[in-house]
Amino acid sequence: MARFRKPVLLALVLALILLCFFAPFLWIVSNSFKPQLGIFSDVTPISWRTFLPMDPVWENYRSLFARTNILQALLNTAIVAAGQVALTLLLCAMAAYALTRIRFRGSQAVFVVILLTFLLPVEALLVPLYQVVSGLGLSNTLTGIMIPWIASPFGLFLLKQAFEELPRDLEDAARIDGAGHLRIFVSVILPNVKVPLLTLGLVTFLFSWNSFLWPLVIAQSPEVQVIQVAIAQQGSPTQLPNWGETFAGATVATLPLIVLFLLLQKYFTQGMAMSGIKG
Amino acid sequence: MTAIDCPGLAAPTRPRRTPRQRRDTRAAYAFVAPFLFLLLLFQYIPLAMMAKNAFMDYSLLNPDAAKFVGLLNFEDMLVFDDARESLAATFLFAFGVVAIVIPLGFVLALFLNSKLPARGIVRTIIMLPVVTSAVVVATMWNFLLDPSNGLVNGAVTAVGLPRQPFLTSPDQALVMIAVMTAWQQVGFAAILFLGGLQGVPKELAEAARIDGATAGQVLWNITIPLLSRTTLFVVVIMTVFSLQAFAPAFLMTDGGPQDSTNLIVYHIYKTAFVMQNAGYASALSVVLLVIVLGISLLQMWLLRARWNY
Amino acid sequence: MKPVLFATLIGGTALAALPALAQDAACEGEPVTLRILRTPGNYPYPAPMEAWQKDHPCVSFEINEVPFAQLADTISVQASSDNPPDILVYDGPNTQSYAKAGILLPLTGYLPEGWDDEILPATKAEHSYDGEVYSPGIEQTTVAMYYNKALTGAAGITPPQTLDEAWTWPEALEAFKACQQGEPGAPEVWGLGPTRFGNGQPGLVYQDLIYQRSAGDPDADPESSAWKTFWAMAPDGSTAEGYLDTPEAIEALDFYRSLFNEEGVAPKAGIPNAFFDGKACFYIDTPAAGSALLKDPVIEWGITPIPYFKTPVVHTGSTTFGVASRSRHPEIAVQFAVDMAWGEYAYMNVSQRGNLPTLASLFERFPVYQDYPMKVFVDQLEAWGQPRPPSPHFAQYDRIVTDALRSVAFGGDPEEAMADAEREVARALRR
Repeated sequence: MARFRKPVLLALVLALILLCFFAPFLWIVSNSFKPQLGIFSDVTPISWRTFLPMDPVWENYRSLFARTNILQALLNTAIVAAGQVALTLLLCAMAAYALTRIRFRGSQAVFVVILLTFLLPVEALLVPLYQVVSGLGLSNTLTGIMIPWIASPFGLFLLKQAFEELPRDLEDAARIDGAGHLRIFVSVILPNVKVPLLTLGLVTFLFSWNSFLWPLVIAQSPEVQVIQVAIAQQGSPTQLPNWGETFAGATVATLPLIVLFLLLQKYFTQGMAMSGIKG
Repeated sequence: MTAIDCPGLAAPTRPRRTPRQRRDTRAAYAFVAPFLFLLLLFQYIPLAMMAKNAFMDYSLLNPDAAKFVGLLNFEDMLVFDDARESLAATFLFAFGVVAIVIPLGFVLALFLNSKLPARGIVRTIIMLPVVTSAVVVATMWNFLLDPSNGLVNGAVTAVGLPRQPFLTSPDQALVMIAVMTAWQQVGFAAILFLGGLQGVPKELAEAARIDGATAGQVLWNITIPLLSRTTLFVVVIMTVFSLQAFAPAFLMTDGGPQDSTNLIVYHIYKTAFVMQNAGYASALSVVLLVIVLGISLLQMWLLRARWNY
Repeated sequence: MKPVLFATLIGGTALAALPALAQDAACEGEPVTLRILRTPGNYPYPAPMEAWQKDHPCVSFEINEVPFAQLADTISVQASSDNPPDILVYDGPNTQSYAKAGILLPLTGYLPEGWDDEILPATKAEHSYDGEVYSPGIEQTTVAMYYNKALTGAAGITPPQTLDEAWTWPEALEAFKACQQGEPGAPEVWGLGPTRFGNGQPGLVYQDLIYQRSAGDPDADPESSAWKTFWAMAPDGSTAEGYLDTPEAIEALDFYRSLFNEEGVAPKAGIPNAFFDGKACFYIDTPAAGSALLKDPVIEWGITPIPYFKTPVVHTGSTTFGVASRSRHPEIAVQFAVDMAWGEYAYMNVSQRGNLPTLASLFERFPVYQDYPMKVFVDQLEAWGQPRPPSPHFAQYDRIVTDALRSVAFGGDPEEAMADAEREVARALRR
């Protein structure tokens, strides 16, 4: 009896989990393929019709790309995310190299200066950061969206940990050959920390792609708007709302991350677990 | 600004340095300089400005016309209700998120750590909301919770219960956004718990089972106590994360009804950018900063003091 | 405050700009580029700009666009920068805020002859501060009540079509109840549909402050609560104390609250396109909805004037533009701004958008507004139009009162909400 009950119970639990975590996604995607009227008329009473578009239409996507700046926003987000990932990796790796592979005067002080910012809640700095970045003339630029986050204490600590695990003899041979720090950094250290770099890159990408409050404040112009801000503002006060487009936009904004996540799940999960250190 | 250019000058020079050491020091500073420069520019300078602006009265419309008002902004927090209400709502929200996420995340982690089938797919599915942006999640739940056309009310009426007002009710709105945030974060908590579970030595449980302990007793008397470190860690992460939530209030409730979901970061945003009272917003930011730092330091102190196994 | 380092960088980067419009005729003087900051697709429109350039061949334009929601911040940052825009296009009720912050140039001396007789009084009031006019105004808009003829017909209701027959709110409520289909609070067809502004929730000052204002009386003694109820803020913008929390206002708000609660004829949350999908009998909106329906008549519809309690009133105000006080070419910028809002240029601008002009002589050139249904908007504007309470702290007032109205619509106590709002407005005015 127990042997029979267990799989049933398990199946029920699994179905519940599926329903809770997956059904909303299915609903969004399916709504994005429904004509405006169908979206809400299919909700009550609930049926499989609620989750599946009976006559799928591309109309929402077509008008989304034709009528709004979503394509531009996707492009902007990709540029910002790519730039932020590249520069974060570069700056954090360089700083981690100095702090782990070079003995130098003042390294303790430098470390403390960085450590102190580790716990700062970035949201609390919103207003002064806005003044600093717009004071630099970087408001409404893609640079302004990414630049405050490049020097990431989290990234530094993640890489510092990885660098410390590398054995000393790794670079000794190169040093005897007369290699300078730049060469050791590039050709000895970096090739040995590919996985931590990938992990940090993914977490940074996720953070950058999903960031909302800061881009909302600093970059509103349609030419530099990022995807999250574009989605959030689809109900513009001068237009009649088109909710099919909103669902299509949400789908488009989420799809790249989901695909990336499914492909590189292991590293994502690892990185997320480590990002918990920062909170 | 001069301190940025040559931080090395701060250290006293000693005669016994070899050229090699000097070269190393120069190289090291070259390597950390870009990082430090940006850190100072985008963390320390804003921090200093915030501390100063908390004592000013100014608007972002005309920041040059700022005037010094002493402790007025902090007095206002006591005289008016907004700060107290906003902080209360924020803490209640954080408490709600933690209260849901901790048990559910733990159970999910137990499942993921078991030998039961379908672990891989569950692990993937519960991580989907984690990688989805707060904006999309809020937009999604806005529709799910719509009082007349939402999916949740569709389900509620399907089982014969009356429709619920959800986000338009001062009693339900905060609960609903806490549920939503917990939904989004529970996968993250499960992954963190899973890391902790995998660190629990298997021999302990096995030994206890040999001594006749039931699975429940092992869980209660061995696994859970050993995970207290991880649990504290997850509690702090979720709390700090919740204290900084913004999108739900911005996209779903506008901080209402009756300020019941006026989360502190949203309140700061609104005060600075809508109400154009950047001085008061800075003072609120200082308070948020102190609270978050306090929680983080408390965590560090607790983790240092006990549960070293 | 601003470090030197910052200052040198400011010039280098600005808003991402659209390509400057081409110049047609030959320029024989100093070429001038006017920088315009506006929301996407807003005034001024290309046709009048190009026409104007024919007379001013030395002027070219550079247009920067920001979404509506962030316009105020951008204006604040840009207007105080070293390379400010020359023309600011913004939401009308902010004129006084900007004038007070020193962001706008007064235009009084440059307005064309006869402007005073042509301009709608509500527009002039909105754009004046301390005796000076800061914006010529370009368009006007207001709300009226649309209705679905099939639904009202089925319920045997014939809504009035002219201002002197306009319903009072209790009469309108009877119509909402009669026309609504289904259980109050969750019907299939709502009596009064939700707004399409903001997130679709009730409470917006533009649309919902008129309930209580219409319970007041502008002809009463200025010390009386009836008078104060009508103005909803001291006309000089100095205080709101005793203006929101009056017995008349509370009574109106009790009624307002009942629409969403006890009577259950209006929803608390937005329903996308409810009116256009036939899920609402009545619906309050600007001429934009009518223009859309004229183009694509998905339902049979009519317009009835906004109901009232004692004094009919509708809010006016729309997008407008002014000249930045730090403009490097103030003379030419002022010339441009004033020209765009006058005569043929004004017509070319307004006709692009489909809202109403601000100049009396232009009304006859918009045939759609000559007859019912769209004529209701014109009549309302002329007879009932009032700006939203003008004050240099409009943005704060707007937000505070909207929150208060929304909490009433969600079932909160009107007395408490309005007393709270008065306190918060006083706090904002303190600065």
